Amino acid sequence: MSDLYPSLAQCAIVATAFKVLLFPAYKSTDFEVHRNWLAITHSLPVKEWYYEKTSEWTLDYPPFFAAFEWLLSQVAHYVDPAMLVVKNLGYDSWQTIYFQRATVILSELVLVYALSRFVKSVPQPNKQLAQIASLSILLSPGLLIIDHIHFQYNGFMYGTLILSMVLARKQSTLLYSGIIFAVLLCMKHIYLYLSLAYFVYLLRAYCLDPKSMFRPRFGNIIKLGFSIITVFAVAFGPFAYWDQLWQLKDRLFPFSRGLCHAYWAPNIWAMYSFTDRLLIKVAPRLGLIVNQDALASVTRGLVGDTSFAVLPEVTKEHTFALTLLFQLLPLIKLWLQPDWSTFVGAVTLCGYASFLFGWHVHEKAVLLIIIPFSLIALKDRRYFSAFRPLAVAGHVSLFPLLFTAAEFPIKTVYTILWLVLFLFVFDHVAPVPERPRIFLVDRFSLLYITVAIPLIAYCSLIHQLIFGLGQYEFLPLMFMSSYSALGVVGSWIGFMVVYFTA
Amino acid sequence: MPPPTPSSHRPRKKRRFTSAFAGSNSSLILETESGPTPAFPLVSFLWAARAGVSQWLVLPLVLMAVGLFRWAVSLWGYSGYQVPPMHGDFEAQRHWMEITIHLPIFKWYTYDLKYWGLDYPPLTAYHSWLLGKIGSLFDPSWFALDDSRGFESDHLKVFMRATVIISEYLIYIPAIVNFLRRYTRMHGVPVWSASIALVAVLLQPATILVDHGHFQYNTVMLGLVVASLDAIMAGRMLWACLFFVGALGFKQMALYYAPVMFAFLLGVCLFPRVRIIRLLCIALVTLVAFALLLAPFLLGVTGDDARKYLSSVPQPPLLQALPFDLKQDSIFYTPIFQLAQIIHRVFPFARGLFEDKVANAWCAIHTFYKLHRFEASILQRASLGATLASILVPCAIIFRHPRASLLLPTLSSVAWGFFLFSFQVHEKSVLLPLLPMTLLLAGDGGLNKDTRAWVGWANTLGSWTMYPLLKRDGLQVPYFVMTFLWAYLLGLPPTSLEAYRSRNPSEELNPVPAPHILTKLIHTCFYVAMIGWHAAEAFVPPPPGKPDLWVVLNALIGAGGFGLAYLWCLWKLITQCTYVVRKSAEEQRKKKQ
Repeated sequence: MSDLYPSLAQCAIVATAFKVLLFPAYKSTDFEVHRNWLAITHSLPVKEWYYEKTSEWTLDYPPFFAAFEWLLSQVAHYVDPAMLVVKNLGYDSWQTIYFQRATVILSELVLVYALSRFVKSVPQPNKQLAQIASLSILLSPGLLIIDHIHFQYNGFMYGTLILSMVLARKQSTLLYSGIIFAVLLCMKHIYLYLSLAYFVYLLRAYCLDPKSMFRPRFGNIIKLGFSIITVFAVAFGPFAYWDQLWQLKDRLFPFSRGLCHAYWAPNIWAMYSFTDRLLIKVAPRLGLIVNQDALASVTRGLVGDTSFAVLPEVTKEHTFALTLLFQLLPLIKLWLQPDWSTFVGAVTLCGYASFLFGWHVHEKAVLLIIIPFSLIALKDRRYFSAFRPLAVAGHVSLFPLLFTAAEFPIKTVYTILWLVLFLFVFDHVAPVPERPRIFLVDRFSLLYITVAIPLIAYCSLIHQLIFGLGQYEFLPLMFMSSYSALGVVGSWIGFMVVYFTA
Repeated sequence: MPPPTPSSHRPRKKRRFTSAFAGSNSSLILETESGPTPAFPLVSFLWAARAGVSQWLVLPLVLMAVGLFRWAVSLWGYSGYQVPPMHGDFEAQRHWMEITIHLPIFKWYTYDLKYWGLDYPPLTAYHSWLLGKIGSLFDPSWFALDDSRGFESDHLKVFMRATVIISEYLIYIPAIVNFLRRYTRMHGVPVWSASIALVAVLLQPATILVDHGHFQYNTVMLGLVVASLDAIMAGRMLWACLFFVGALGFKQMALYYAPVMFAFLLGVCLFPRVRIIRLLCIALVTLVAFALLLAPFLLGVTGDDARKYLSSVPQPPLLQALPFDLKQDSIFYTPIFQLAQIIHRVFPFARGLFEDKVANAWCAIHTFYKLHRFEASILQRASLGATLASILVPCAIIFRHPRASLLLPTLSSVAWGFFLFSFQVHEKSVLLPLLPMTLLLAGDGGLNKDTRAWVGWANTLGSWTMYPLLKRDGLQVPYFVMTFLWAYLLGLPPTSLEAYRSRNPSEELNPVPAPHILTKLIHTCFYVAMIGWHAAEAFVPPPPGKPDLWVVLNALIGAGGFGLAYLWCLWKLITQCTYVVRKSAEEQRKKKQ
């Protein structure tokens, strides 16, 4: 009990002070995206929400998020009505900035609440560990960079996710966990990636008898089925009534995009592309055929079709098959052993699979892995050693999101501060595992972490000094994402081993 | 160092001072029924470090965290942003970089004085030259002679902001860290408490807002002063002189501290016994340091170009006032001209008694009794007399008892004296008395309720009096955030009344006295006034005849508060001095026995 300081509230207050100071910081086009959604939801009837296309940033989140924007717009009306005009593209008066930034901070209270529920849900001897893990999520550099500088509402979303995961801990609240997750899906469909784990867990632990999987609990099935159908009906019902579901589908799942996002997210495909780049140099000597058309596109890494010069093309079907395969593997274990920490592990591994093998993955999606993983990273030292490279790689891979000079010190110093503080504290408190660890892996992870320092220095400073501003910009990005990909893949393999042997 | 044992026959009244005995964390940890709890939020942030975590970990983390807040403040507006034609302090500093890298040294203090002519001492000029050279590597157009006036761009802003923070991390931060380490060790304060005091000192809102918000390089000067104090603690008086001359050479405002340094160094040479050699060494080092500081200027004017150029500029008044006649072709003419010009620029006697609305005695008196009716020379003399009167007592004490441990209260009371009564005071000068006062937090019992309440109150008041200035720069949000954050971390109003509450009787295990009832009363009045003022200023337009009503009111309240802060520092000094003197007398008596 005595070691629960600083409390979540204290950290939230100090972090809020810092976040308020970041109001004038760089903001990406996502800021305008959300302003536009405020305008759309405020000034148009619901029927037209998913058809409006004055701005190129059309509404492409599910209905509940649109409703959330509508709610915000009711307040925004009193702050600066001009931000609610659909035609005011790129409008950013200081009132608009203050308002939108403030809504991000306020909506993050959901995260604070969810984390405090999490700490409460943990039995006494492990409370301190839970407190530390919660603080690491609350102060996460990922959320700071993406939400409070780049601009999004991930704190709110992940807060909802954590709340739902915490509710999954007790049999009595499992139903609410399912409902909240359904609500979350209706706010941001990226969480579909995690839905299989929820499906399996709720089915096994809630709908079937814990002792025997052949004895369904019909009462529970009806309760859960009815609630989830209600949630989806409320979200999508009106649009189904207006016969707009196909339009919604096109908006929510734009499949015209390429395999890799503009700044290669650190996944398998980044490594694949990197290998392809290397092979271009080597191919003539090995007698491989180089696809000349592809040469230009890979270096740019633009949104669009990524094509490979030497290696075989990757299609959407391939990525789906791989994602599904690596999601199903951990789910088998979850089915057989439906307890909470296996569930969190399975959610994490679903996040890994979709991040590593998914189509057009955004680097921001790395939070899908980091945040659920943080909840169990302190289970013992084996978990922690799998978490460590992920913490480094995942956060470093977010650096290219912010490229302006003024934000450079913030993103680097804050991330380093977080890494030093939490990796040290985690290392200090993580309990000794029951099984022995493989120490060789530790050496590699130490080496891996050390490489980050010269790499960041190169990418942010030395590269420009050697080649000049704006030259070969893809090089640092490629190094960064290949490096991070190595860390994410390494931690994935490490965690798979831990998960299946636990 | 063993903790001093309080003797049993000490009179009751004096117990207050020694109550938080050295070597204890009693003012930081509350013993409650559910176990120890932190006394105020800053303690909980360092809670995990209380078991003695390595300074190699705590210090970098603290420095990174406070650095982040500095940089975040620097994202906001600066003085004179998009206000042509003169802009503000940002432009002045940029302009000095521009002229120092392009012009020969003899033109530095004479070039186009109407547009932000250089009016800081030589070390600032060298500092500007260095930064200008570095900045030109990035983009020469930032500092193109004459063409770059009023230049504004995001990259230039980042560069300038970076120069402030880097200068601070090279000078102020190491100085503070070293000073606090030595000072706390001297007072027997535990390392953990010292870390907490360090964070409190480094998050001082006023300093961050002025340097990283408004834009100035005060921390360089303050850092040199602290380095000088650190040298004194270490017993290296000559280094202390060197650093202090550096501080004076960077910003003339360091003069606020000069009488104390003078009295102390003189006192060290005379008491307890006369040490002539030491006195001579100190004098010599000081003179040499000044000579080195000015040497580039004096050597730079020996050429023919310089002679020709200087004969074409108007003579500084100081040169005209020389008692002897100086021929233009004499070899001493140009160096003396240069010297006179520097002094003329650095000390603007020609300006008024005070500038704008500043929270000092003159501005307060002027509000009720217009001071224009007097001649400037009378006002100057009155100001000199009042200042001398206010600093006489502290200077005399430190002269007679030159002890390093008494320096902080002396420095703050003298600086308050200067701030209140001297000539040409600027509202930003409040940083000077605030620094030594805030450093008191690191002393023995510095984090107990009484000291924390007074230091916190003075800091809040200090940044509050700068609000009109900060508002002009568009720094309202950083002002509120940083001031609230500091108050919150130290458990002070308006966020908490913890510092003013006495413990429950059940917690009387180690009673720490709450502040005196008078303190509570005074502070309550001031906090209420500050909050009320903010509400009024935000929502009530001033009456048509008095557009400056709120600003004047701010200055008046501020002046009253600073007067009290002066008295508190003086009282602190006197009690500490009597305590120290009595203790040493006791020790001597013991030795004799």
